[in-house]
Amino acid sequence: MVKTRVWLGSALSAMLLLSACSNNNGGSAGEQTAPEETAANGSNESAPEGLKPAKLKIVLYGEESNRMKELSKAEFNDIIKKEINAEVEFQFLPWTEYGGGKTDLMLSTGEDFATYTDTNYMVKSVAKGLYADLTPYMDGAAAADTKNTVDEASFKAFQLGGKQYAVPVGNKPNSAEFYSVLARQDLLEEVGMSAITSLAELEQFYDKVHEKHPDLVGYAATDARRLLMYEYTDKNLYWLNDFLAVDEAAKDDQIISWFESEEFKAYAEIMRGWYSKGIIPKYAATNSPQLQSDWNSGKAMFWAGTAARPFEGAAAITQAVPTAKLTNYFLSKDLPNISRGTYSTAWFVSANAADPERYVMFFNLLQKNQELYDLFAYGLKDTDYTIDENGRLTRNTTDELIPDWLLMNKNFMRFDKSVPDDFIAQYKSWDDGAIISKAAGFNFDNTPVKNEETKMNGVFSEFLAPIASGFLDYESNFPKALEKLKTAGLDKYIAEYQKQFSEWYKANQP
Amino acid sequence: MPNQENRTLIAFFYLCIGVFALICLAPFVLAVSGSLSTESRLAAEGYSFLPRGFTLETYTFMFGSKAEQILRAYMTSVIVTVLGTVCAVLVTTAFAYVITAKGFRFRNSFAFLAYFTMLFSGGTLPWYILCTKYYHLDDTLAGLFVPYLMNVFLMYLQANYFKSIPHEVIESAQMDGAGHFRIFFRIMLPLGQVGLVTISLFYALQFWNDFYLPLMLVSDEKLYTIQYMMYYMMANIQYLASGTNAQISGVTIAPPLESAKMAMTCLTVLPIAVLYPFLQRYFVRGIIVGSVKG
Amino acid sequence: MSEEALRLERTARRKRRFNTLRSDYPLFLLALPGVIVLILFAYLPMSGLILVFKNYNYNGGIFGSPWAGFDNFDFFFSSLDSAIRATRNTVMLNVLYMLTGTFFSVAIAIILNELRSKGFIKVTQSVMFFPHFISWIVIGAILFSLLDFDKGLVNRLLEWTGLAPVDWYAHPWLFVIVLVLANIWKSAGYGAIIYYAVLQGIDTSYYEAARIDGASRMQLITRITLPLLIPSIILLTLLSIGGMLKGDLSMIMGVTFLNPLLLPTTDIIDVYVYRTAIRSGEFGFASAITLYQSVFGLVLVLIANKLAGWYDKESKLF
Repeated sequence: MVKTRVWLGSALSAMLLLSACSNNNGGSAGEQTAPEETAANGSNESAPEGLKPAKLKIVLYGEESNRMKELSKAEFNDIIKKEINAEVEFQFLPWTEYGGGKTDLMLSTGEDFATYTDTNYMVKSVAKGLYADLTPYMDGAAAADTKNTVDEASFKAFQLGGKQYAVPVGNKPNSAEFYSVLARQDLLEEVGMSAITSLAELEQFYDKVHEKHPDLVGYAATDARRLLMYEYTDKNLYWLNDFLAVDEAAKDDQIISWFESEEFKAYAEIMRGWYSKGIIPKYAATNSPQLQSDWNSGKAMFWAGTAARPFEGAAAITQAVPTAKLTNYFLSKDLPNISRGTYSTAWFVSANAADPERYVMFFNLLQKNQELYDLFAYGLKDTDYTIDENGRLTRNTTDELIPDWLLMNKNFMRFDKSVPDDFIAQYKSWDDGAIISKAAGFNFDNTPVKNEETKMNGVFSEFLAPIASGFLDYESNFPKALEKLKTAGLDKYIAEYQKQFSEWYKANQP
Repeated sequence: MPNQENRTLIAFFYLCIGVFALICLAPFVLAVSGSLSTESRLAAEGYSFLPRGFTLETYTFMFGSKAEQILRAYMTSVIVTVLGTVCAVLVTTAFAYVITAKGFRFRNSFAFLAYFTMLFSGGTLPWYILCTKYYHLDDTLAGLFVPYLMNVFLMYLQANYFKSIPHEVIESAQMDGAGHFRIFFRIMLPLGQVGLVTISLFYALQFWNDFYLPLMLVSDEKLYTIQYMMYYMMANIQYLASGTNAQISGVTIAPPLESAKMAMTCLTVLPIAVLYPFLQRYFVRGIIVGSVKG
Repeated sequence: MSEEALRLERTARRKRRFNTLRSDYPLFLLALPGVIVLILFAYLPMSGLILVFKNYNYNGGIFGSPWAGFDNFDFFFSSLDSAIRATRNTVMLNVLYMLTGTFFSVAIAIILNELRSKGFIKVTQSVMFFPHFISWIVIGAILFSLLDFDKGLVNRLLEWTGLAPVDWYAHPWLFVIVLVLANIWKSAGYGAIIYYAVLQGIDTSYYEAARIDGASRMQLITRITLPLLIPSIILLTLLSIGGMLKGDLSMIMGVTFLNPLLLPTTDIIDVYVYRTAIRSGEFGFASAITLYQSVFGLVLVLIANKLAGWYDKESKLF
């Protein structure tokens, strides 16, 4: 008797909220004043005349530095006000809230803000109607500068069904990301070698250094499928996700099931060798963040490279090892670099934003010209940084403003005094001869295979990742792992992926 | 003879507790010593009970760059802990009294009403909608403790302590014409003092340790608590460990330095650990005085 | 004890048989603040449970989104072996935590109760609280420095005594012991306070009477102290049975970093959901499993509550 009453009570209170919540969701769109000015603005010049004052909220992840705090209230605010008549509030969130967590909550409750995204999160959020459609503002004045300074292909990557859901930011040599070995040149020279051109030489490098410095770790990560690719296959593989790859050398729309391929077997065997040999330390299975700490404190010999890592990474390592030098090497390479596009990331605007166009104008400011780029990335001239006669940069503060990695645009970026000239030349020509991946711009809609994908993730992290990193031996563990993957629905997933990809490929490839 | 036996037993007891206390203390000593070590030696040689290359650098760096923020976070934490504990203890003990009131027809209904919420929760989304859109608790001080004013676990604990008070005491008060209010404030609270100390201790810990409410409801840096600052720092490690960071390429998230991690741990633990034995007395006295006057 | 309370206690003895039930309305008033908090922050948000059976989208909101039936449970229960293993691991770890945690908490409380040195008690009590403050990530880092295969302290000790080093992070069943010890270490001090407080409220006359009868210290403990703690032990056990299927993700994350080699025993429901649903951004899947954990917990607690009722009516939760 008593219990039924309680049940009734709780049911009643639940009903109360139901009506409350549905009110909220129905009403929230109406609460916002319709952005009437947007239509008129299309023809406006970028000058603030005729723009109503607006308030924007930009969410960034990571810790807010002191200097960022000061500048965002003073100079950033002034300049943004002057340029686009908007007041911008920067809100910082811990990294764990990226692409989920609080970001998701803020989107779901219809808060008015913008932040950055990857294509995965974009596809999911757009399916739930959480992102604003930014297509109408792309060809107007709002995005005019960013259209010039950011690659056309980058814009395509953030389109779904022909609509622009996020505005790419950044333009930097990006090809062959993680396809090179980033080696500690100082150690290499110390053991009497000058370069690394093959797997054999890489292992030789490890052996020699290990003999001299037994406390050093070999490889400071657990995934080496890209940098080793030139060793175990003649194909030019590009991975679409953990499970699937395409061969960029073949002119077709064939999807390759990575784990079922001969290539995976060959790769897993190399990794097993690395693990048994100690190139990948035993603790890597447990404590992968430790690997990165080890790398940063100069206790590892090599890492996966990117175009920018030799100078981005050097800053941290030279604090621990002042003589450290980093160089990129490709193993047995004779294939063109693959690029997914030159963007760093992309900004989206929440579905409920009152004035999406103003957000686009703000994104535009970040990549508009040298002067603004310097301000947002480095701060105030002569206070926060100086530039010498060669155009080299010296920063007077280590405080991060709007993150460097995010803004980085080859049209504007500056190099530190310590970066050698030949390196800059190498960096600038990094993308020469690179090819854009044939899958760039394709975004998989996982709705029909959500269950399969979720289950496969579970199998991947438990059974396949340890084989791929060499913690477990391929021969004795792979058959069971593959069987689990099949049970989880690998075949159905691949079929769906192939179907969507073929359709897209037909429509988009010449 | 029994005396002799007793003495060895007691000595053994002292040993047990002493050893366990030392084990509990050890990691904390490691943390303190880690925070006083130089980063490079810590990274190279690992933890030890004595600082490796003694230095105050980590602290001077942290206070140099964030002194104001850390001090304000302390203030907020203290205010939230004190306000939260006082309010929560009153709300909780009153409820606990109700579910232990003999002869009250609905006491099981109330007990179940509370217990049910320990099992079922509607998830974060509706909670977040309500807190921000309807109760407007975002970016307010109240938002940092009001949602946690009723911890059902502690409510049951308090009820358990109330149950141990002899029922005759209550009966006789009732015969003297005392109503429930009077019995609750004048008899139950003073007699249930030990329980009160315990749950106020647990509440204080709960409020001090909480990072979830600031994470969800606060964007204004002025309302950050010390525990949230700590969480913020650790969140980057967790994110790195989760491996999802591969999705944005080129992003550089530096894991926090080992020594900074340890310093932050000390900063969150030390004050309450050192002050608690002293505070505890005043806490409880304050609550009782307050409730008697009220 | 206040003077008034003492006086009232005296009158109580005088008029024991007298009993008048006054109006209950003050009780409703006393419960009101608690009820309001529960409704605002627990019952109203509970309407979100409906989302478990829906495909949430922003335009439809909680109410208007399309129904999904039991689709959100599918990913979990259709890979039955994982679901069973995750459930088994969760229950296993929770039972182990409960048994060892209760044992150590009670033991510490009883021992503290026997000691007479006020200063010692105070200091050790505070110290035993320390672990409660240290986040699992920091504990994980410290454990790692103890258990690491090459450099860990434990293995160096083993080597020193002539034993073979153990790769702790590769033996899932061995690691259960590590988890249990870590849990005792983190929570025993906290739990001991609860029991110790009960003991402090106990009338010392019980002991005096028994002591006059010539009972030894050990006898006092087993015949008086322990029985007095039983209601509290039952209460805490009942309270934790409801959470039988809920695990601590942050603990496993912090201590094992989700090491795949340990998953055979550390893959509790929360970890499994994190590895699958949360990492692929399917939050609807995640909340569905939370409901499964709750319903299962409710069933268990209803049974346990009945059992407790047979033992003693007063020890029932509701």
